[in-house]
Amino acid sequence: MKIVIGYLYSDLMNIYGDTGNIIALTKRTQWREVEVKLKVKSLKSKIKKGECDLYFFGGGQDQAQQLVASDLESSGKGKVIKQEVERGVPLLSICGGYQLLGEYYKPHKGPKLPGIGLFPIYTEASYDRMIGNLVIESMFDKLVGFENHSGKTFLKKGADSLGMVIQGFGNNGKDKTEGCLYKNAIGCYMHGSLLPKNPKLADWLLQKALEIKYGKQIELKPLDDTLELQAHQKAISRFSK
Amino acid sequence: MFFFPAVLLGKSISKLTKLLKIGGGSAAPGLYALKIEPELVNKLSQQIPKNIVITGTNGKTTTAKMLAHFAKAAGLKVIRNHTGSNLERGIASTLIDGVNLSHPWGRLNRHLGIWELDEAAFNSVAPKLKPNIIVFLNVFRDQLDRYGEIDTVVKNWCQTLQKLDPKTAVLVNGDDANVLKLAGCFKGKIQKIGVKGYKIRGESAQKLKEKESLDFEARNVKLNGLRGSQLSLIINHKSLIINLPLPGLYHVYDFLASFALGINLGLDSKKMLSSLKNYSPAFGRVEELPFGCIFLIKNPTGATQVFETIAPNIKPEDRLLFALNDNIADGKDISWIWDAEFEKLQPTTYNLQTICSGTRVYDLAVRLKYAGVDPKSIIVVPDLNKALKEARTGLKGRLFILPTYTAMLELQSILVKTGIKKHYWKEE
Repeated sequence: MKIVIGYLYSDLMNIYGDTGNIIALTKRTQWREVEVKLKVKSLKSKIKKGECDLYFFGGGQDQAQQLVASDLESSGKGKVIKQEVERGVPLLSICGGYQLLGEYYKPHKGPKLPGIGLFPIYTEASYDRMIGNLVIESMFDKLVGFENHSGKTFLKKGADSLGMVIQGFGNNGKDKTEGCLYKNAIGCYMHGSLLPKNPKLADWLLQKALEIKYGKQIELKPLDDTLELQAHQKAISRFSK
Repeated sequence: MFFFPAVLLGKSISKLTKLLKIGGGSAAPGLYALKIEPELVNKLSQQIPKNIVITGTNGKTTTAKMLAHFAKAAGLKVIRNHTGSNLERGIASTLIDGVNLSHPWGRLNRHLGIWELDEAAFNSVAPKLKPNIIVFLNVFRDQLDRYGEIDTVVKNWCQTLQKLDPKTAVLVNGDDANVLKLAGCFKGKIQKIGVKGYKIRGESAQKLKEKESLDFEARNVKLNGLRGSQLSLIINHKSLIINLPLPGLYHVYDFLASFALGINLGLDSKKMLSSLKNYSPAFGRVEELPFGCIFLIKNPTGATQVFETIAPNIKPEDRLLFALNDNIADGKDISWIWDAEFEKLQPTTYNLQTICSGTRVYDLAVRLKYAGVDPKSIIVVPDLNKALKEARTGLKGRLFILPTYTAMLELQSILVKTGIKKHYWKEE
């Protein structure tokens, strides 16, 4: 078996340690003796259907985000990613990546920045900086990360959140929701890095990637996650009030 | 009008905190004195004939300390914020401390002020110090929760520079594309420092189009392990060979900055270089201990540079002690450990005893596991004092200690309590 991970705009959209998610996905695949390949997809490059089994999209600086928004459209990558997610290909997007996969981003000034409309969400610039440790309750049990954003994201009617905030701000600091889940695609504000200390979520993404690729149910070989789970539990007990 | 009372108040607080041993007196005196005289820094610093400001993400303390060393070797009386307290209150405390009260109304009797300011403090404090020379060392991702994104840091520096006197001598790192952007914001002349054939691994997508011409260019750099480096530098058409007693390329940049500042001050280049022999590093930066060495790690680039420097020098009998804290001064966001290339420590560290400590000890242990360290050789000891004891028990080789900022301060106090060293604010 083999997993191909598509790392979207790794040169432009990688702040706040998002690389840690790629490290976690790669190592956890290798430790199970499954072959893993990383494909970087940045400005101007194309994506073919079926080329990647799992996508990761991190956060970036404001200027980079504008470049990326227009490239998603002009290179056709946005359209392909949307189609791939529709057929169940898993995706994890964080912060800026999450925002760009929504319907639009409304800055303080100037026109709306259109997203690819994968998630039924929209984001508005705000003058509040939402910074701190973030703990949520989700279908992957509790998740813990670190958020740092000023954009406020709102779910449209019928959209599923990734989870409910226990500690922190989440999507917008108001409605207690955090992130969005659509099919097997996840968008959220959790840096940290997210996957190394939330191994259950990491494995869910890997399992979905293999199941969609090979068209059958797959059980991942269990790993010794003693350290990962300690990091998970310590962070949750420390930051949940 | 509240100037003199402010200085007096600051001085008494400083005395008290030292007497009661509740700190080094590095922030509190300035904090309270500024409350009654907000113009304190402005007024006191103008009594000093020359002021130098050093800013950037990495290397501020080393550059400041080395420049102070050069200046003292030339017989100058120096004042600087040497405890790494680089916010306005730290500067104010240092200035208050330097005032001679036996002079009517209090005078500062110093030739040179050397001020390190962090990325954010630069914008508020530099205009008050009215510096004669400024150096911008570099800008990397560091504590995004405090400083914001790199683009924002550079934009704010740019706005501050536009307001400063065009006669100010401005030095920038010519190998750092982000810092180089400042050339467009300053009316006066800009001098560039750098290393031939090197480029800072930028945090910006924009690459240096072509090598900039450099005013201070290190050539033929040879890194000689932990002992230091050798380089050559052309000054007044003469090539000088320099033996730097500090390891790693990042220290070559710190040296270049302090040397270029020295030249701008009119210091003699030969005297500066000969004084290098008795230079001892700033605390926590390659600080040697009887049983090992401390290397401060605080952001991805700095940590990776430390890993690159020590990796080839680690022997199988050595041990590693990492301490990761998430206090405000460290940055509450520890995501950065995933950008720091702990993988560079491989394969030397695979079976090396690796002790982890600090408030985020488990995150650190996970990072090391994913960097390829065998989980069996990872020992988790949250309490730093106990971790240090554990690391030293049965130690046959050397202990490499890699703490974040507040862990380093904690370590200093443990070392003092165990009699291994004296108080750091008495080191100067």
